Amino acid sequence: MEVISQRSALLSNFEVLTLLRELESDHLAKARTALKIKKEEEASGASSTRVHMAPEEVLENLRTIEVEAIQYLAADYQPTSRQTEAGITQLTRNLATYDLTKAEKLQIVNLAPLEPVELYVIVEELEDRFGEQIDDILSMVQASLHKPSSSAPVVENNVQAQVFYTEDDVHYEDDAENWGHDANEIVFDDHGEGAGIEGDLDVEDE
Amino acid sequence: MFVLSVIKDTVAVLPANFGLPPEQAITNELNKKYANKVLHDVGLCMSVFDLSEVGEGKVRYGDGCLWYKVIFRLVVFRPFASEVILAKVKSSDEEGIRLTLGFFDDIYVPLVYLPEPSAFDPNERAHFWLMGSEATSSHELLDSPLAERMYIDTGEVVRVRVEADEFYDDEPGPPKVAEGVQQVKTENRRAPYTITV
Repeated sequence: MEVISQRSALLSNFEVLTLLRELESDHLAKARTALKIKKEEEASGASSTRVHMAPEEVLENLRTIEVEAIQYLAADYQPTSRQTEAGITQLTRNLATYDLTKAEKLQIVNLAPLEPVELYVIVEELEDRFGEQIDDILSMVQASLHKPSSSAPVVENNVQAQVFYTEDDVHYEDDAENWGHDANEIVFDDHGEGAGIEGDLDVEDE
Repeated sequence: MFVLSVIKDTVAVLPANFGLPPEQAITNELNKKYANKVLHDVGLCMSVFDLSEVGEGKVRYGDGCLWYKVIFRLVVFRPFASEVILAKVKSSDEEGIRLTLGFFDDIYVPLVYLPEPSAFDPNERAHFWLMGSEATSSHELLDSPLAERMYIDTGEVVRVRVEADEFYDDEPGPPKVAEGVQQVKTENRRAPYTITV
């Protein structure tokens, strides 16, 4: 065993969270199919090949670290669940115009500072280097943060648990921003005008 | 906080797993070996990121496993010096505070790294910070009014900057035999990877 490169690339928290979520949904999907196959076998009475018994032990350590890391990264006090891939790309592009080191840019993406005091901790000599531009940087960070956890578009899966989770969040976000939208979202009608009018009536009633 | 490391290793795929596509079987074996383990001077390994190069599987004399030489990338947890991270307070004692990240518990804040006018309150079993105070000895600080104290309680989320990290490799030496009876080492096991903030 040989370590070729100890630190070949830095990863943002968002990338790691996405990767771990993908892994988790794969595992859940596999567990479901395994359960289904087992049930079918019991029903039919036949005991066919048991190909996938081995992976059970493989997953234990991996599952532990996966679950705990997802818990940490998706916590409320972390901005990671409110980041999107597009938002981060935009933020890094904007930050490139400033004279920041790679480490500082990565930390800004990871910590998403919204207050000047947070930025002071990350960037050394903030006053000297960016006296005027502090607010610009903060507003760029604010712009990159969106709704809570929109990893659904990135990960394609048909696992019940995951879908339920993201649906919930989208619902919540719409609630917070624009509640007129809410009625329209739920009613998937193809008659555009009709739905609009009905939607408005519902809202007025409340 | 997380880095990618490139590792080269040799992996055996058991015949039971020949039904799986080889990348998957190899990734499973690698995860079995590395996930949730600390690699010396590298960090806490989380999971395999992808496989860069896989050699041809060769069968060795004596067992039926296919041996592959693999070069792969691994996601490793290793905060660099002066990085700021968010952590929860796990416990406090006279020597400092211990923080946890859920998946990693060994983060310590020694007394010297706490904000300047702070002291340990033995009644609350917590450290507190008295902002703007000019008291220097902990005796004066403990006399301060309770309302002004800012306590650092268990379970609170704090922002810390990493100062240093330390790897400890616990190599078991040859078993020591004394008077014909084998002695089992039961010393305190030091954590293989600690971070000081």
